[in-house]
Amino acid sequence: MITVSSLLDDHWYARYKKISKLNIRSSIYDVTDRCNLRCKGCFFFSSGEHEVAKEETDITRWDAFIEKEMARGVNLAILIGGEPTLCMDRIEAFYKRLPTFCATNGLIKVDRDRFPDLMVGISLWGNPEDETTLRGKDTFKISSANYQGDPHTYYLYTITPKQLGKTEEIIKKIRDIGVKVHMQLLSNDEGVDGFSWQPRELVDIRSEMDDMLDTYPDTVISSKYYHEIITTGKMLGRPFGWMECPSVTEPIDKRDPRPKRLTNFIRWASDLQTMHRCCTSETRDCSTCKDGAAHMSWVMVNKRAHIKTTKDLQNWIEVYEMFAKLYQFIPW
Amino acid sequence: MENDIAKTTLRIAEIIINELKLEDVTPETFDPDLDLVDEIGIDSMDLATIALVLRDEYGIRIDEDDYPKLTTVRIIAQYITDKSA
Repeated sequence: MITVSSLLDDHWYARYKKISKLNIRSSIYDVTDRCNLRCKGCFFFSSGEHEVAKEETDITRWDAFIEKEMARGVNLAILIGGEPTLCMDRIEAFYKRLPTFCATNGLIKVDRDRFPDLMVGISLWGNPEDETTLRGKDTFKISSANYQGDPHTYYLYTITPKQLGKTEEIIKKIRDIGVKVHMQLLSNDEGVDGFSWQPRELVDIRSEMDDMLDTYPDTVISSKYYHEIITTGKMLGRPFGWMECPSVTEPIDKRDPRPKRLTNFIRWASDLQTMHRCCTSETRDCSTCKDGAAHMSWVMVNKRAHIKTTKDLQNWIEVYEMFAKLYQFIPW
Repeated sequence: MENDIAKTTLRIAEIIINELKLEDVTPETFDPDLDLVDEIGIDSMDLATIALVLRDEYGIRIDEDDYPKLTTVRIIAQYITDKSA
């Protein structure tokens, strides 16, 4: 029988042991329906999710809700929006209770006296030209000033086809301000003209992402297996799609057969009652979805499928480590 | 009593082998102290499936909160024996 220890040498086994019992139970929370930007290609607004529910404004209800979430076993709160930093009291309600990650466009600085080690993920959509086209302004200029040298911050660099050949200039800029970066891809169905991936471009960007990881290993938080999965949409020969996605809200998951999935995962709307279907928009075509966290989780929940060869298991470990670093379960 | 636990241990090993479709192992060669989570990658969904089979066979309900404790075949066998007593 193949076991983990039969596949790994001492070095890899030690790495495996650091993550094997983390038992991360995440859920995603829309903190608000509002944002201080209107980006072309943001699924939250393009799919009308900001109109699905009226946001809860009574902080005592947020407090009670989070207590219930903890009782449900959640040990990682992923805060998205709208723009969460418009509602610092709600961020604080999560932060004082459990490990919390806050996605933001970085325009508003999180006060480090109030949130000393809150993990902040700043969205970035490319160079100043593409940022201006898609988001109306070069957000990096502002976010880099806000978060320079911050050890609890990374950039979530959403790569578009127009960034082919240009990723290095972005990675260098991020390195130069002393912050980490994680890469993901824009999904095709966000309806932005000229920003849809073609098969050849996906091959090229995979190679470019690999190069960035090799060249800037202290800055880029990633893994080549993740690059393979996200660009090909395949894991161990299986295509990603609705019947494989691990990030579907559990109480409304009626799939049969039920795939390996995140335990107890829910994506909550900001009224604290409405559940979204999954970690991204319901209008998205799952077969071409490029959501980075969903693809990472897809690998992570399929652990046993990777206990086949040494290389498969090492790939699994690297993806799990990447996720654990991005959400501060292990150090950079 | 010891005989019962030994029989239960073998049967649980058999259930796990069948449910997880494990290859190159029999109930007799399955190490009852092997860490199921660490060494063969069993997760809470696998445990839920196994718990259903055990419920049907032994008439006991395994509380989901107990899953993290059930890390080896020997521990599961003891758990079932205790619950059945």
